[in-house]
Amino acid sequence: MGKIQELSEMLANQIAAGEVVERPASVVKELVENAMDAGSTQIEIFIEEAGLKKIEVIDNGEGIASEDVLNAFKRHATSKIHSRDDLFRIRTLGFRGEALPSIASVSELTIETSTGAEVGSYLKLVGGKVQENRPHSLRKGTKITVENLFYNTPARLKYVKSIQTELANIGDIINRLAMSHPKIAFRLVHEGNKMLTTIGNGDLKQTIAGIYGISTAKKMLLVEKADLDFHVNGFVSLPELTRASRNYLSIIINGRYIKNYLLNKAIIAGYGSKLMVGRYPLAIIEITMDPLLVDVNVHPTKQEVRLSKEKELMGILTAGIQEALAEQQLIPNAAANLGFKKKQIERVTVEQIRIPLEDPELNGNDERMVEKDGKLAYDAQKGHFYVPERQSETTLAADEATQPFVVSEDDFDMSDWVPRKDHYLLKKTRESTVEDREEPQAVIHGKKESLSMIEEFPDHPDLAVQEMNSLAEKMLQEKNTQRFPELEYFGQMHGTYLFAQSEEGLYIIDQHAAQERIKYEFFRRQIGEVTADLQELLVPIVLDYPNNDALLIKENSQVLQEVGIYLESFGQNSFIVRAHPTWYPKGEEEQVIREMVDMFLTTGKVNVAKFREATAIMMSCKRSIKANHHLDDRQARQLLQDLKKCENPFNCPHGRPVLIRFTNQDMEKMFKRIQDPH
Amino acid sequence: MKFTVNRNAFLAELATVQRAISSKTTIPILTGVKIVLSADGLSLTGSNADISIETFLSIEDEKAELTIEKNGAIVLQARFFNEIIRKLPETTLTMEVLENNQVHIISGKAAFTVNGLDADSYPHLPVIDEKNQLKLPVRVLNKIINETTFAVSLHESRPILTGVHCILSSAKLLAVATDSHRLSQRIIPVEQAMEDFDVVIPGKSLLELSRSFKDEEELVEISIMENQVLFKTKNMYFYSRLLEGNYPDTNRLIPDNFNTEIEFKVTELLAAIERASLLSHEGRNNIVKLSISSESVVLYGNSPEIGNVEEDLSYKNVKGDPLDISFNPDYMKAALKAFGEGEVVVKFISPIRPFTLEPTESDATFIQLITPVRTN
Repeated sequence: MGKIQELSEMLANQIAAGEVVERPASVVKELVENAMDAGSTQIEIFIEEAGLKKIEVIDNGEGIASEDVLNAFKRHATSKIHSRDDLFRIRTLGFRGEALPSIASVSELTIETSTGAEVGSYLKLVGGKVQENRPHSLRKGTKITVENLFYNTPARLKYVKSIQTELANIGDIINRLAMSHPKIAFRLVHEGNKMLTTIGNGDLKQTIAGIYGISTAKKMLLVEKADLDFHVNGFVSLPELTRASRNYLSIIINGRYIKNYLLNKAIIAGYGSKLMVGRYPLAIIEITMDPLLVDVNVHPTKQEVRLSKEKELMGILTAGIQEALAEQQLIPNAAANLGFKKKQIERVTVEQIRIPLEDPELNGNDERMVEKDGKLAYDAQKGHFYVPERQSETTLAADEATQPFVVSEDDFDMSDWVPRKDHYLLKKTRESTVEDREEPQAVIHGKKESLSMIEEFPDHPDLAVQEMNSLAEKMLQEKNTQRFPELEYFGQMHGTYLFAQSEEGLYIIDQHAAQERIKYEFFRRQIGEVTADLQELLVPIVLDYPNNDALLIKENSQVLQEVGIYLESFGQNSFIVRAHPTWYPKGEEEQVIREMVDMFLTTGKVNVAKFREATAIMMSCKRSIKANHHLDDRQARQLLQDLKKCENPFNCPHGRPVLIRFTNQDMEKMFKRIQDPH
Repeated sequence: MKFTVNRNAFLAELATVQRAISSKTTIPILTGVKIVLSADGLSLTGSNADISIETFLSIEDEKAELTIEKNGAIVLQARFFNEIIRKLPETTLTMEVLENNQVHIISGKAAFTVNGLDADSYPHLPVIDEKNQLKLPVRVLNKIINETTFAVSLHESRPILTGVHCILSSAKLLAVATDSHRLSQRIIPVEQAMEDFDVVIPGKSLLELSRSFKDEEELVEISIMENQVLFKTKNMYFYSRLLEGNYPDTNRLIPDNFNTEIEFKVTELLAAIERASLLSHEGRNNIVKLSISSESVVLYGNSPEIGNVEEDLSYKNVKGDPLDISFNPDYMKAALKAFGEGEVVVKFISPIRPFTLEPTESDATFIQLITPVRTN
């Protein structure tokens, strides 16, 4: 008799369960994903003993027709794909047809389902064997109950960790699923305790608030970026809100939560030096792409995927986050840092319109408020503003930013006109980019920007009108630099901290961190500029690489030569280096070459400036004024001036904050000038 | 600007102004030295947040061998400029400012061209009313500085204590410094020709000042303004900022009545303290103990992890009650070093009250105060 025999279906299912049903959380994941694929809008999950005793998933999806119910528990039976082509265009979360039979084979499973059109069914399986199958009445949807998980696989049961760990895993899975589908309302209940509720109104930010809390959600920034292949959108945390692990980075591709090391890296790269060492942001990134570009058929749990055009995607992700952060003023709020109780209630923001007293030309002109459609004109003879009739010859129609401004008066007084127009314009742009973010400062900043612009041109009232357009454009570009507040220095503390005020409040600046940032931005550029001079070596360095790497190096020797590494083939997979660039630190030549080649092998590029970033950080730290160092007013003011010009004035190169802020409101609260409303 | 000058004479002036130039500053031009050439001679300026030094090399100074061809001014990066001048081959050098603030430096066959900065963008030094002056020999001022500045605090957490409190009143100049653990005070009689003053001068500035003097016998003129002090010698203007704030009233801290008094030779006591501190420095708490009785005075140093030292001190005189007192030997060392040679009388009240050190031939013009360490 032959030794080889086909395994029974039960046994095959149990083996498959080994891969698919690793732990209770996997069961929850599979069942909830099924519910999601069924088009549910409400999913409730009830857990007992971290899922070992009971897992119950109730959805309001399309349900299973009674003639299909038995089929659903056959191996490789699925409703989700039909043809070979479908496999490459997977839009559902599941498709392998393995989950249900696998789960059923290691537990006692009950399913009650109805399509709503006909009478539903009730099916009970123990260890994969049908125990009961009868018609049953139920509203539209499905209710699956899994009990006594792993009762027949003691080996697996042994490796289940503590209740807390398993529960945490389940919570984690549901969190990610909920974030990947903000349109579905989730409810997770463990032994009667509500662990998670999302409202499922499609607003990702509200879903985040349901999962991570309102205060966290408030510190999340919208990221949106797209190209022909990818559409990236989601939320990332402000650099001040970080976690000690990468676990809070959730990447969702076409509605599927996945793990991908490179994309995580791309998110972190978007923060640049804004993060502290060993800290990671929170992020929920939804990526939409053609299913053809992604292969999820890698592992039964489908958490790993293969991506085409991975590098392009990384680029978009990094750029999107950079842009989102660049728009923000990233000064952490001191009061919040100290853990003062902040009001969680949504505040109605009211802005008092101010008379622009700083306007140098303000001299009793009859001013009228700008009409809502933004059209405003100035009559030079009478010296006042008015809303023009369209045909009027001597007027100026300021039609948003799209149309060029027209004026026929030569002595048109610019400086009187600029602030209101600019103010309006800026406010418009702000509103459109900021969207629903609660950011009252943004508006105030807009106003300040326009005012400081006038100060720049007080002597040029006759500036050509055509330049107005470019002026407005320029100002929008400058928005970036001016998100940093106008700081007025007034003192130093302990030779370490500088105090400054602005209209919005009090700022405390760490003088060392501030100069470190200034110097870093200088050195970062400078260290990349190395000469191509080569130092010859008496004893050459020999480098050995494995076959595949060696081939890659040979193919791309040009890339390495550009940074001064000349590798000559030396036998099968070895290279010899006879000279090295002169800037290499003494005694570390071989190490530097190896590191740069490694950098090339992992990223495909070599960037000297990036490689020497650590050097730049060290140089900037060493050459900066330290704490316990008296600064006179002049020097302190200069420091704040220079800081303002930095690309990222908010963090030192190690990621620590350069300055913190107490808003006026914080100050008033601290001194009980205003009370918290009850 | 074009001139020729003796290299060593120029270098000496450069070294002086470099005391005021720090490589770490937020204003880049302050890392440079400003060179101004006028018909009378050559002046160099260096400046930082605390002090500014301006020296003058006169055309009449024979050693300087200064010949001026064309007046002008420039600012050069101090660090490498000094190195260049130091390494030039000949005894004289010629400097000329070319266009675009470039400077040509020639000595023998070596020729440098270095980039400078426009002297007009260099910050202006404070203007001080020179009428109100106190004149002191450099030697005396140096002595005061050496006797007080070691006691200033090095921490900006209480900025006022980083300075030396100088009071001029009733023909006496009082200088006192304390870091709140020890105090040093010197009073000297002066021929007063100016109004009384009460200022706090940063200790760091005074140290740099005393190192900048070249001639001990010269007279230094001191002028005081609201927030600046100027020390002026024949060839040097030394400006320092003054510290703002109220200096604590140290007068009340110095006790009058004592219970125990001993006289020591300064050098002998210092040597013993240094020996004892060898072990205390290694230990966890840096203290030594002095045990005084009518028969003997014993100094103990004990660090349980390392070992202990015991020394029977030789002393001149002892009177009063027996006493055991512990203190930080470093404070004692610094205090004794300020006395130089001679004899010192150490006066105690109790193990937990500060004790004083004075020269034996004291007329209460120099007194130091050290706080003990309370041990349990």
